Amino acid sequence: MSRRAKESGATIIRYRGVVKRYGAFEALSGIDLDVHAGEVVCLIGPSGSGKSTLLRCTNALETIDGGAIEFEGARLPRDERALREVRRRMGMVFQSFELFPHLTALHNVAEGPRTVLRARRAEAEDRARAMLAKVGLSDKATNYPAALSGGQQQRVAIARALAMEPDVMLFDEPTSALDPETIGEVLSVMKALADEGMTMVVVTHEMTFARRVGDWVAVFDAGRIVEQGPPRQIFDAPTTERTRDFLSHLGWQGETL
Amino acid sequence: MNFDWSVVGAHRDALAAATGTTVLLTVATMAIAVPCGIVVASLRLYAWAPLRAIATAYVELFRNLPLILLVYWAFYVLPIATDLGLPPFATGLAALALNVTAYNAETFRAGIGSIRRGQLEAAMALGMSRAQAVRRIVLPQAVRRILPVLASTWVSLFKDTSLVSVIAVTELAYVAMQIRAQTFRVLEMLTAMAAIYWLLGYPQAKLVDWIQRRYAVTE
Amino acid sequence: MNFDLSVITDHWRFLAYGIGVTIALAAASGAASLALGFVVALARLFGPRWAKPAVVLYIDSMRAVPVLVVLVWTFFALPILTGLTMLPFVAALIGLTAHLAAYAAEIYRAGVESVRPGQTRASLALGMSRTQILRRIVMPQALVRMLPAFGSLLSVTIKDTAIASVIAVPEIMRQSETLAGQSFQPIEVYSFAMLVYFLILFPVTRGVDRIYRRVAHLGRS
Repeated sequence: MSRRAKESGATIIRYRGVVKRYGAFEALSGIDLDVHAGEVVCLIGPSGSGKSTLLRCTNALETIDGGAIEFEGARLPRDERALREVRRRMGMVFQSFELFPHLTALHNVAEGPRTVLRARRAEAEDRARAMLAKVGLSDKATNYPAALSGGQQQRVAIARALAMEPDVMLFDEPTSALDPETIGEVLSVMKALADEGMTMVVVTHEMTFARRVGDWVAVFDAGRIVEQGPPRQIFDAPTTERTRDFLSHLGWQGETL
Repeated sequence: MNFDWSVVGAHRDALAAATGTTVLLTVATMAIAVPCGIVVASLRLYAWAPLRAIATAYVELFRNLPLILLVYWAFYVLPIATDLGLPPFATGLAALALNVTAYNAETFRAGIGSIRRGQLEAAMALGMSRAQAVRRIVLPQAVRRILPVLASTWVSLFKDTSLVSVIAVTELAYVAMQIRAQTFRVLEMLTAMAAIYWLLGYPQAKLVDWIQRRYAVTE
Repeated sequence: MNFDLSVITDHWRFLAYGIGVTIALAAASGAASLALGFVVALARLFGPRWAKPAVVLYIDSMRAVPVLVVLVWTFFALPILTGLTMLPFVAALIGLTAHLAAYAAEIYRAGVESVRPGQTRASLALGMSRTQILRRIVMPQALVRMLPAFGSLLSVTIKDTAIASVIAVPEIMRQSETLAGQSFQPIEVYSFAMLVYFLILFPVTRGVDRIYRRVAHLGRS
């Protein structure tokens, strides 16, 4: 689906001139990017180019040093309590899954609704069961993370984020720590989510996923976006040298369908 | 309530000599317990089953007994077992050495055992002999893990030398308490004893911290 | 060398009393040091600015000074300063608790710091508050990770009760000394004492090991 068609939706996230520094090092040097409702925006680029940093700034796990991030029309608040409210409306999935090892899969997924949304235990567990079913892991509800494969853990992590009914899902290299066999199961879940119309911002090295599922792709390099556009442009007809270099380094030969 | 702190100064020579004995005990014990610990650890890691079992039993036994009891037991048993009349210093040294050897053996065993087998295999795959691989690849890594624990054991040992005071070895605790008994200056002498241990022990503890920071292992 | 065990059997009540005192002292000082250590650890993490250096001084001092010295000072010197007389058991309890709490505080701190920062990030991402994160996510994992260290501290606690014999607390060591002196059979008496300590300590260390192995995965993220 082209961006034109999706642009009729609201702008969920707006990045304007976002700057982030770690001491003397500038990790983000002025990022401008829009994420519209229902869109899948993929952030690609070499390691250390700032993609994950931008994602962590989006839900204020890191604070920005310049520019602005707007979420659903309002700038991100500074107050911790107000920030928690904002975070509840965003879901985040981490490269290292970060499931809570002392809780079963079911309780991991129910933890958000119980503790943050203050749902009653039965209600939270019902919702958790539904989310686990959605990611295809109903039979693993009583397992602890230690007993699950990487792909299964990541799917539980996705279910945990979904249980909060977020307006946008942020994925930080969700498949980078997975075995090749299990990458597929996670990407399928993400694609299904996208097909349902979830707004997603995905930092990924899975170019095939970005090409097929993404609606908009931003190429990062050294803290800036060097090129952004629909996947067809980025992958088939990139307009900048940097993008071409990056893709050729990955051995991207173009996708033959 | 009047305090006479001059009693500490008056006996400074005796206290200094006693401190020297404490240091000597610590150094001598470690000098014995490190090589012995290596031997016992090697037995546990590489020897055939009966020897392995004996070494393990030794370690488990001496790690599960209070040192002060060991000191008393050595005092009464060693003269009969060895048929010598050992001076208290030697008895105390023997008890300390037996105890610390067991802890060191565990430290060495765990340190070497914690190096992943893949390291050894990778080295041998390059064509090194087993001995070369252990010497050049496994041991240097093991030393990084062992050193901080050894430093910590040293500080514990330094404090534990105070326990041989119960069999009248003239180290710091014994001498300080003797002076207390002779002069009746209880608070002054006991505080001085604590202060001397503190002055010696505090920098050692800080040194251990530094060693642990410097040799911290991140997987 | 003939081994005459009758000295043990004739005085088993005397020795059993000592075992009771050892267990009581170990349990009491163990529990007290867990509590005090927790307070100290909290003070270090969340207390006022002067608390941190004070706590560090306290902890490092206890690492520098032998238990024997602490116990002897508490029993003989402290009453002179405060004017109160103290029972040996009480002095031992105070001294051991003060000494062990320093180590307990370090274990608490190390345990909390060893939980992966990613766990905090994931919890923040869900929208949890800092207190919720500490209570529901970090502490449960930290407690599991502290288990081996606390097991080791329990073992040390039991062994350190033997030092209380020096200030005449009637625990196993002291009872053994008395009996050995009266009966002139130190080898039998002290060997028996060794057996008793081993039978108490060995299951404790093994038990903690076992428990940890079963719950370790709950702390590994």
